[in-house]
Amino acid sequence: MSKFLPLLDGLKLNKPLHSLSNERKIKEAQHIWEHESLGGIAENNNPLPRPVVGLLILTFLTAIAWTFPLFGQRPNAAIFSDYVTLMHSSPVQQVLQDPTLTTTARDKKAMAMIVDALKDSDSPFEFQRIQHPISMNDLRIMEPKIVELQNQHVDLSEYSIIGNEVALANFEGNWKEDGTRSRVQPWWDKGYMTSVYYFFGFCFAVIITVKRLPPITWKPDHTIAH
Amino acid sequence: MLKYLFAKEKDIPGGSASIFFGFSCIMWFIIGTGLGSFNAAKLAFPDFFTHYYALQFGHMRQVHVHTVIFGWIVGAFAASALYIVPALGNTKLWSEKLGVWNALLWNLGLMLGLSTLWFGMTSGREYSDFMWPIDIYIALFMVLPLFVNIFMSIVNRRTQGIYTTNWFFAGSFFMLIIVFLIGNMPEFLHLTGLNEAYMTWWFAHNVLGLLITPVAAAITYYIVPKVTGNPLYSHRVGHLHFWSIVVFYSTPAAHHLMSSPLPEWLKSFASVEGVLILVPAVAYVCNILLTMQGRWSMFVENLEIKYTITGVLLAIPLNMQGGFQQTRAINWYVHGTGWIVAHAHLALLGFSTFAEAAAVYYGMQTMLRRKLYSLSLGNFHFWMLLIGFSLYWVSMTIAGLIQGAGKIYEVPYLDIVIAEHPYMIVRWLGGTMVFLGNIVWLYNMYMTVKHGEKLEHGVLPHEVAYVR
Repeated sequence: MSKFLPLLDGLKLNKPLHSLSNERKIKEAQHIWEHESLGGIAENNNPLPRPVVGLLILTFLTAIAWTFPLFGQRPNAAIFSDYVTLMHSSPVQQVLQDPTLTTTARDKKAMAMIVDALKDSDSPFEFQRIQHPISMNDLRIMEPKIVELQNQHVDLSEYSIIGNEVALANFEGNWKEDGTRSRVQPWWDKGYMTSVYYFFGFCFAVIITVKRLPPITWKPDHTIAH
Repeated sequence: MLKYLFAKEKDIPGGSASIFFGFSCIMWFIIGTGLGSFNAAKLAFPDFFTHYYALQFGHMRQVHVHTVIFGWIVGAFAASALYIVPALGNTKLWSEKLGVWNALLWNLGLMLGLSTLWFGMTSGREYSDFMWPIDIYIALFMVLPLFVNIFMSIVNRRTQGIYTTNWFFAGSFFMLIIVFLIGNMPEFLHLTGLNEAYMTWWFAHNVLGLLITPVAAAITYYIVPKVTGNPLYSHRVGHLHFWSIVVFYSTPAAHHLMSSPLPEWLKSFASVEGVLILVPAVAYVCNILLTMQGRWSMFVENLEIKYTITGVLLAIPLNMQGGFQQTRAINWYVHGTGWIVAHAHLALLGFSTFAEAAAVYYGMQTMLRRKLYSLSLGNFHFWMLLIGFSLYWVSMTIAGLIQGAGKIYEVPYLDIVIAEHPYMIVRWLGGTMVFLGNIVWLYNMYMTVKHGEKLEHGVLPHEVAYVR
């Protein structure tokens, strides 16, 4: 057996790959387990208690649910594109120039009108608009940049809203035909999916490791070495 | 101790290196917590000691952080590893001489590093504030010799199996060298901006995740079965703990920078991994607490178990906080507030310190072959540490929540400062209790060396702790 890397034993090229958990290996492990004292310390061969297994499954599900990408996505400029259009409409402009109202009241009323007007629209951005409410002041600051992007006919969903600034999103998606990368963050988010694959890879590796141990029905006899 | 530096290996008594590290780390703990108390006093009473530039908060905070991390926490790890590793392999330490030199170089390196920090020579990066020549010194002259000694002791063991504790010791000290050299790349290669920020937090995250929490856990894997006499509850759960640390604790560094312009996919990945840190945490805590079955009376009666199990119990809120506070929704609220300071102290002054104090108490008595001078002073130290820490943790958590609310609702900064003032005073009180408790600890250990009752051969210190 290699002194440092015993696992490599199973990977010798002149031998077919053999199971690491065959009967002989397990008998050897049981013998070592019972016949040597590790500085006076013994170890049992208990499984994880079932409630703890449940807790671990709950941990995984919580991790997935709690960090679901939609909850953490930055708002993109496409969400507010309709806001800018409505901001330029005459009813909203009338409110914004109403001399009988204070500046704050005008802004609040105008924004409420915009939100109301879009409430029943069949928009894919409805959820994200609720997630990211903005003030009229923010909209005023964003408006020139959004209009500029609209005129360039670029995909507004590739631009993030950071505070009240509009910037090219830092999400790195698939390569597009024109040689640039997609900046649209999909609901499944590649980092999130990497985590899911990573978790299952971990489970697979742990199962292989633990499979080499004697079955959980076997209880070591600690009186032999101690 | 210095006479062993040039002695022959066979003439150096076993345990010398561990004792050298043990006393050094207690000294550094006193200095570190003293600095912490001084710094906290500056926050509680802003007019306190304002006339020396070198003693301003901006200089002193880093010195406090690095003294407790490298002087106390890692020093106590070294003290523990140098007696636990050979004990678990039924062998001697590979080289006591290397260990004694290691302890000397450790103390000299720290004096040098902390002095330069104090003089204002800093990289300005959290947790890796030392300037780059000191970083290289730490990797080559402090950590590498320690790793070589531990690794070679494991290689030369007289057992075929390797106990769980030794997996963690070997893995963690090896990773510390890697983490130190790669984590400090921004200084070696002049990386700036986002690269620097990411590497800094990759370093800081992994110092905690691949060194401090696993090694503290490794110590408890030794102390609990050894002192209670119970077998470890489960070897296979130990596997689950170890491998899930490797997989889930090494990857979420980006969760320290959730509001930064790092790629969004990287933050998503880091955030899910961050919650999955609960996998090793759950496996570890259940393994240790189930090992205590039938011996829970020792939690009250035995000093080492009292420290260790308190540390393990503190690991529960530590990991619950750690898992969830890094998710985008909660991070938005608590980032950059005292909550994080409280969390960091829960990890270092709570979980790790209690586990290490147990290992140092136990190890010093075993190596010196002397019974603890005063159990009452040991208990006094425990309560000073626990009450002091609790005051600190609770007050800073509340202060952090106030800061978070103030940040979100755009409350004027000065109003937040005023609202936090009472909690800053409680923070200072708690920190000062820890500091005073540690002075008592040093006295107790010194008296143990001088007047502690000698242990007969074949007797372990915990077996005679209550025999007066």
